[in-house]
Formats: sequence, C-alpha cells, structure tokens
Amino acid sequence: MDRYPDGDHFQAVPPPAGAGGFTVAVGGLSVGFEGVLPGVLGTCRDHYRPFLSDAIPQVTFRLGPGWENYLDLPPDGYLRLEERPLGPGRVLLSHTFATLWHGASGELRSASLEDFETLKAGIENTLRWVVADLALESHGFVLHASGLVRNGRAYLFFGHSGAGKSTVASLSPDCLLLSDDLVLLVRREGTWMAATTPFAGTLPQTHKQAGLYPLAALYRLVQAPEDFVQPLSLAEAAGRVLSCCPFVTDPPARQDRLFPLVEACCRAVPVRALHFTKSRTFWALAAPEATP
Amino acid sequence: MTESSNLRRNPDVSWRTIEGQSVLVFNREGEVQVLNEIGTYVWEHLEEGAEALARNISERYEVTPGEAQSDVAEFLQDLRRSGALLEG
Repeated sequence: MDRYPDGDHFQAVPPPAGAGGFTVAVGGLSVGFEGVLPGVLGTCRDHYRPFLSDAIPQVTFRLGPGWENYLDLPPDGYLRLEERPLGPGRVLLSHTFATLWHGASGELRSASLEDFETLKAGIENTLRWVVADLALESHGFVLHASGLVRNGRAYLFFGHSGAGKSTVASLSPDCLLLSDDLVLLVRREGTWMAATTPFAGTLPQTHKQAGLYPLAALYRLVQAPEDFVQPLSLAEAAGRVLSCCPFVTDPPARQDRLFPLVEACCRAVPVRALHFTKSRTFWALAAPEATP
Repeated sequence: MTESSNLRRNPDVSWRTIEGQSVLVFNREGEVQVLNEIGTYVWEHLEEGAEALARNISERYEVTPGEAQSDVAEFLQDLRRSGALLEG
C-alpha cells in the first residue's frame, strides 16, 4: 500500500559522523547533496565525477533515513514517480525515497543510506527533477533524447522509451555522447546549446565530459523499414518536442511555461522526423554536412 | 449534433497555435495531434457553441451550412473520443 509522508517525516536530522557531500553541475545548474555516509561518498563522487563542481549549489538536499517503502512497486517493475505539494514545498516520491524541495534547500529520505544503488535512485531522480525545474527557471528545458556531438555541433535524437535513443548512441562510437536519455537545452547569448548530463539510459556513461555545444538539429526518432528524413511543420515540431520533455508532473502550469520556450527552440533549430532502420546509415541523412 | 457548450478542453492537454495550426499535446500519454486550419478555428472558438461555429465556418470557408454543421459535429465527436474535449 502506498504511504505518503507528512511534514514531520522531513524534519532535519543531524548528519552522521564523518558524513560529507558533493555538488553536481549540469549545464551551469548546480545541485548539492549533504549528509552522505563516508562508505558511499566515494562511490557517489565517482559516479558523478565529470559533473562534480566547487560552485555553491543553487539547491542543497540533506540526506536522512527514510521508510522501506513509499510507493508500491508496480507489477511491470517500471519506476513509479509521483509529485505532490506539501506545505510550501513539493515532494517527489518513488518506491525507496521521498524528497521534499522548497526554495534553495530540501530533504531527501532514502530507504537506505548505506546501499549505493538504493541511495542513487533517490539522488538521481531528485537531480533529474530539480535540473528540469531549474532549467525552466533559466529559460531552458530538458528533453528525452540521445545527444551526440559531431564536428563540434550537437545533434539530438528525441523520442519516448523504446524509440531508439540508446541505439542511435551505440551506433555512433565516434561521437561525443551528451546522454542517451536526457539532454539539457539552454540558450546562451542567443544560441541554443545542448549540455552533457549525468543521466544515462542503457549505455554506460564512461568517458563523458561536461560541456555545452551549439545545437545543430533535432530529430524525432521513428523506427522504419527504410531511412529517410521528413520535414515537420513548426506546430508539429513544437508539439513533438514538448511531448518528450520529462517531469510533466504539474502539466497545465508547467507546460504553459514550457511551450513558448520549446517553440522558440524549434524556430531557431531544424526539427525533423528521422525514420531509421537502426543502422549507422542514418548519419548521412541526419548530418550530411558532417558525414564523410 | 454535439453541443460544444457541453464540452470543455481537457486541462491535461497542452495546446498552442503556431503559424495557424493548433497542436495538442496529451500530457499523460505523450500523444500529439495537429489540427488543420478549420480544426484550429473550431478549437480556438469552442466557446461560441456548435451552431455559431458551423455558421461562421460556412461563411468563411464557402461550404454549405448543412456541410459545416455535420463537419463541426463530427470533429467535436473526434475530439471527445480522443480525450481532447471532456463533457460537462
């Protein structure tokens, strides 16, 4: 049975002896985690190594012990995430963690503070949640996409689960990988840029380098028996991109803010549908100028 | 005929009109529906009611009032079936 914590559950607890913290920066957006036990701190730092930052985080979460179960695991095993208001803040919940966020700080409660995989579920999803929101505050957005850099420019291949994001990345070993799951888009001095993120789909995220790259094009992935590129009207492009923006947890309010940003991006950067056969030949269509 | 006055836009459907086309995004399902020019007119002027919509479409797009009336009714039914419009 699902259990929903109240405000008392998130009362600050003193950090355990020897606990430490780390800050992760994604495209200039920084989130800190404090109260990490010494036994897992090194593993956490290793996991987020390319994104560790000395910057003062925009939001800091303190870790504390939580319940064994918050939301029940569904039979299909897929991760359940729910967001709900609590007092002046908002809570993100899943099976083994609950995070309360308000302003520049928050409390993360995890079923285990010693087991890295359990703790990572809380940290990773909290990070995704907060980065998506901070991006919106700074007029950017996060997109479910595989991001690949070719000749210094970023190509994003977006789609829902199963569309082929990781396949596209695995077929491109000569490209710099931004992510095979979630890419951050921000505007810098009038140019849309794509940022490397620590968020991984099914590919190992070794050799990632934090960075920002000018956006060359966006492709909606469509699996097909032959490779071809199809133009999209601006309206369809914006709709397709918006539908792949994650954490639509407060849809009406958030989408109203997000839609104009997505439209602005689609006006500035080509957006097309890429029908592809899961072979490497798609690059000749997606980036003819960058394909020998 | 489906009375559009009994229908309301689903708040879980985000929409925006861009270059004369309304695009509807079903937030929960991730589905996307792009409306043509007349569909966009109906979507944007839903509050006017089916009769007025049919009358205005007949005038603007040179279709007979009967055709306009049945087209509007059919379109509203489609939107209701897709979940873009809710009853009540």
